[in-house]
Amino acid sequence: MTEEPGEPTGRVRITSPLTSAPAHVRRSVRQEIDESTGIGEVYMRSLIRAQLRAALTVAATLVLSIGALPLLFLAFDSVTEMHVLGVPLPWLILGVLVYPGLFVLGWLYIRQVERAERDFTELVEPHRPDSP
Amino acid sequence: MNTTYGMVAVALVAVATLGIGAFGLRMSRTTSDFYVASRSVSPVLNSSAIGGEYLSAASFLGVAGLVLAYGADMLWYPIGWTTGYLLLLVFVAAPLRRSGAYTIPDFAQVRLQSLGVRRVASVLVVAVGWLYLMPQFQGAGLTLRTVTGAPTWVGTVVVAVIVVVNVVSGGMRSITLVQAFQYWLKLTALLVPLFFLVHAWAGDDRPSPVAPAEWFRPFSQADGPGLYLTYSVMVATFLGTMGLPHVVVRFYTNPDGHAARRTTLFVLALLGVFYLLPTVYGVLGRIYARDLLVSGRTDTVVLELPSRMVGGTTGELLAALLTAGAFAAFLSTSSGLTMSIAGVVGQGLARGRLTTVTALRLAAAGCVVIPLGLALAAERIAVANSVTFAFALAASTFCPLLVLGIWWRGLTAHGAIAGLVGGGVCAATATVVTITASPGGWFGALMSQPAAWTVPIGLGLMIGVSLLTHKSVPANVSRTMVRLHTPERLEVDRRY
Repeated sequence: MTEEPGEPTGRVRITSPLTSAPAHVRRSVRQEIDESTGIGEVYMRSLIRAQLRAALTVAATLVLSIGALPLLFLAFDSVTEMHVLGVPLPWLILGVLVYPGLFVLGWLYIRQVERAERDFTELVEPHRPDSP
Repeated sequence: MNTTYGMVAVALVAVATLGIGAFGLRMSRTTSDFYVASRSVSPVLNSSAIGGEYLSAASFLGVAGLVLAYGADMLWYPIGWTTGYLLLLVFVAAPLRRSGAYTIPDFAQVRLQSLGVRRVASVLVVAVGWLYLMPQFQGAGLTLRTVTGAPTWVGTVVVAVIVVVNVVSGGMRSITLVQAFQYWLKLTALLVPLFFLVHAWAGDDRPSPVAPAEWFRPFSQADGPGLYLTYSVMVATFLGTMGLPHVVVRFYTNPDGHAARRTTLFVLALLGVFYLLPTVYGVLGRIYARDLLVSGRTDTVVLELPSRMVGGTTGELLAALLTAGAFAAFLSTSSGLTMSIAGVVGQGLARGRLTTVTALRLAAAGCVVIPLGLALAAERIAVANSVTFAFALAASTFCPLLVLGIWWRGLTAHGAIAGLVGGGVCAATATVVTITASPGGWFGALMSQPAAWTVPIGLGLMIGVSLLTHKSVPANVSRTMVRLHTPERLEVDRRY
């Protein structure tokens, strides 16, 4: 090996691959959540945000449907005077149709949040035999 | 109306209630049994119980009477009482169950780590409960007078005594069975006579109700406080349901958050089916019982219709069935309310030398005495009004506490107390002003339906003061959020 004089060389450290440093351990999401680390917080916030979004969607739907009915009746006489099967339309809406509507909204909401919770479970404990 | 059938109906409901209560007693031994039925109630049974507990005198008798008197505008009440459950489902049902607390003050304490919030919330639970109990006791007196001619105080005292015996003997477990039985009794009691009534109406050439145009149409006049009143009723009932103590305590009897959601969905279905019926009674009452408008006894229309439209022994038997349903309504709602108030007061007493179960029994007896006294002393305060004030008070205080506590990390104990006190004082003032002075015009409207302005005050104070005191956010809020929002089947650390 020949060296040109005047050409500085950096010191090179050569280490054995077999050191006493611990190998990188894959930490589970559950640990991150249990120890309230930054990553755990991110997971929790995403779950809460998904659930809150579903709840606010239902609330907004209510405001725009049932909440808008009084204004609708006030603004359009044709709606209040319409008859369906001999029953005035406002009575049919307020006395009957509202209730199945509320049930369907609740059912859709439950489907949405249960899915979000399943996804979250899958994320946190991917190999649980009982996770669907 | 035949007195005997009515008396027999009332006696049967009372015996059945106490009998199922005694059956529950044999299964109820530990403190956990007593308070929340050991959290092992299935969704179907639990939702029947919630329906049975929730459908009070106001639903069974009041809605039909209001429709008879005021028409289409009154349909907002049952809609609001049902929609309140949908909002309860989406904002609080599962997290509240997962919080693992027994009562609202428990929830406030574990979430905010503050005894002060706990005390304020306890006082409010008792206030809301009493506002709701008083009209139940009064309604019972009126019904028994209509049916049997007995003095008003008899029915009031009878209901109060049965409720105390029931709560003291079995606690929540027996209440759950009693309530579930009473939902189905109430539904049957309204449904069966309706077939006969509609048949009689069809045989009578299907007459239409005779009424002025504004009875048929919602908001026939745009001016005046009509629109404000409607929206205020919506705010109170939509948001108040989640804060009623007897409704919230039911959610602790679900085994987990998933079951809490299922239960609420079933409740939506049960309420939807039930609320189809009182409207029909109201419309039929407008046709066949218009004289009740003149005498001001519209609340009794449901009980009066069978003898007027069907008549004979059939009519009297149907009337007795309706009486049984009405009595079930008073008993179930009063039992649930007494149980939830007693749960809160009993926990306070149990800090002393008493055992928890003894404390709960003492509290149950004590909590009934005061609304009973008020019901006996007060001249008749409109039943529907008193119930509305309970909703408005709950909506202005517990609704912000629950929703912000569950979804917003920034809520502090100071903010919660400010909101509970501010919202509570405003709603209580409006109640007192309406009952004592009953002012008219716009001021009267603002006082008689206060929710539209008291809820923003309670919510605003809670958010504003929390932001000002953001340094005192509880240190363990992240852990609490994990507990409230993660599904139970995940094995994460849930300690507070």
